[in-house]
Amino acid sequence: MNMDSSTALAADAHLIKAIQSGDERALSQLYRLHWPMVSHFVLQNSGSEDDARDVYQEGVMVFYEKVREGSLELSCQIKTYLYAVCRRLWLKRLTNKSRLHGVRLLDDDDYGPYLNTGAEDDLQEAEERDRRFATMSEALTHLGEPCRSLLEGFYLLDKSMQDLTAEHGYTNADTAKTQKYKCLTRLKKLFFASYKEA
Amino acid sequence: MQTEADYYALFEAYQRGELAAGARADLEARLSADPRLHQRYAEFDELTSTLRTYGERRRTRQTISDLHASMLAADEAPASESTSTGLTHSVNPMLRISRTEQKLRDFWNGHRATMGVAASVAVLAVFCTLLGLEWWRAAQTRPSQYGYTVMNREIAKLKQGQRAITAKLNGSAPAAPVIENKYSGTGFALTADGYMVTSSHVIQGADSLLIEGRDHQRYHAETVYSDVKHDLAILRIKDAKFDGFGRLPYTFKAGQADLGERVYTLGYPREDVVYGEGALSSRSGFNGDTAFYQVSIPVNPGNSGGPLLDAQGNLIGVVSGRQDDAQSAAFATKSSYLVRLVDSLKSKQPAQPYHLPRANQLAGAGRPQQLKRLQDFVFVVKVYE
Repeated sequence: MNMDSSTALAADAHLIKAIQSGDERALSQLYRLHWPMVSHFVLQNSGSEDDARDVYQEGVMVFYEKVREGSLELSCQIKTYLYAVCRRLWLKRLTNKSRLHGVRLLDDDDYGPYLNTGAEDDLQEAEERDRRFATMSEALTHLGEPCRSLLEGFYLLDKSMQDLTAEHGYTNADTAKTQKYKCLTRLKKLFFASYKEA
Repeated sequence: MQTEADYYALFEAYQRGELAAGARADLEARLSADPRLHQRYAEFDELTSTLRTYGERRRTRQTISDLHASMLAADEAPASESTSTGLTHSVNPMLRISRTEQKLRDFWNGHRATMGVAASVAVLAVFCTLLGLEWWRAAQTRPSQYGYTVMNREIAKLKQGQRAITAKLNGSAPAAPVIENKYSGTGFALTADGYMVTSSHVIQGADSLLIEGRDHQRYHAETVYSDVKHDLAILRIKDAKFDGFGRLPYTFKAGQADLGERVYTLGYPREDVVYGEGALSSRSGFNGDTAFYQVSIPVNPGNSGGPLLDAQGNLIGVVSGRQDDAQSAAFATKSSYLVRLVDSLKSKQPAQPYHLPRANQLAGAGRPQQLKRLQDFVFVVKVYE
């Protein structure tokens, strides 16, 4: 048992290192490895296959972002961490859509002490970030064209200024740049207005 | 005066490290000196970094959902391969579910709790109904208690059987259908002019009563009074052509009979009159009820309401029931209660006065002689519901 968990931890550490360096195959391996666990858990707790997929992708995203930032402090195995995150996420969705107030989940004992995994804090952080992204997405929609595609092209899709100049039909890169800064000031107003209000 | 956009151009150049050393030092000095400028820079930084991480997030989401799709595709490919190449490895059963089964499973998963609750409510309702019915029926057939059977007879079955046999013997079709009585018991004359006694459970729930004597003389009767507690009922014959029973040969004992006295009864547990003999075995009845005697006479359904007499021909009780789990333990209401009941009815100005017999003509006679006289005053009480 001890040997098992220590080898598992070693394998986890290896996997995390690989994912942090941007290895897509490692992420894919991790994704496949823990999918049956989460899908089983959600299906067992009155969820559908689609619910399971949503919850799992959300959970993996939290994990992945923490790994990429290098701020993941893992005190347990990856599968326990993922189980805890997905469990929390699913509980939240269930409570939201359920008329019954007390929702009780059937747990798999194999994935053991899912509390104190640090998952709660990470999730809260992720939710805060989600809220920020939602506000940003809304602000971008309100911004209108051509500001939106200009900013999205530059910041979100990492296009070069030259490409964008050609795409939007500006006479030169400087005009495009000036336009971009103007758009940014407008976006700033929209974003901070609704973000602080929320 | 610089516009906001100009500042943004400056900030961006600063972040990218495109500013000349002099300009950079100048900007840094201004940032630390001017809190408003610093605030502006912080907002610019937050905005652009949010934009960049948002882009990052969208790419990650895409990557992960691609992962899911490729995982499903990878899982399906070997599954279909294995069917063609003959099972080389086990197939994930989750993916082999048909669409309808999947739907059923989803439905079951979604409504498991609700269906559980519904099922238990249904089961509960069924049991409550059954229990309630049982309870209601038990309440209907008082004074039967646990282990105590009242002796009225469910005659319909017996009679139908007998009719069938007679019909077979005679080789003739049965007569036009008559309304069959449901229960029958025994009753006996209380006064010469038409009052009768039987057990109250015999006539319980009766629509109409028919009295039938040994000579198949039939009379209609009505209930005058019914005392459920002592299991006594007073009937009165209401036929116009009825002209009295004649002189009653027995008297009603007002006191109590003694333990061990020889007693006997006449009754109609079947079509013919049946004699039963025994001794008075206790001066209290079922569960110590002092309104009853216990007698060691074998009684059967139909004996209820029959007279209980002692050796001298005094009427000492009215047969009521028996105990199921004891050998030949029958119970009879004490005649003292009957006498008291008649006394109380007398004071209520009855339609017809009660003249209880005073002289006992049975004393001293042999048992067959006693019975010969007695059986003209013992009747079948037929109950129609």
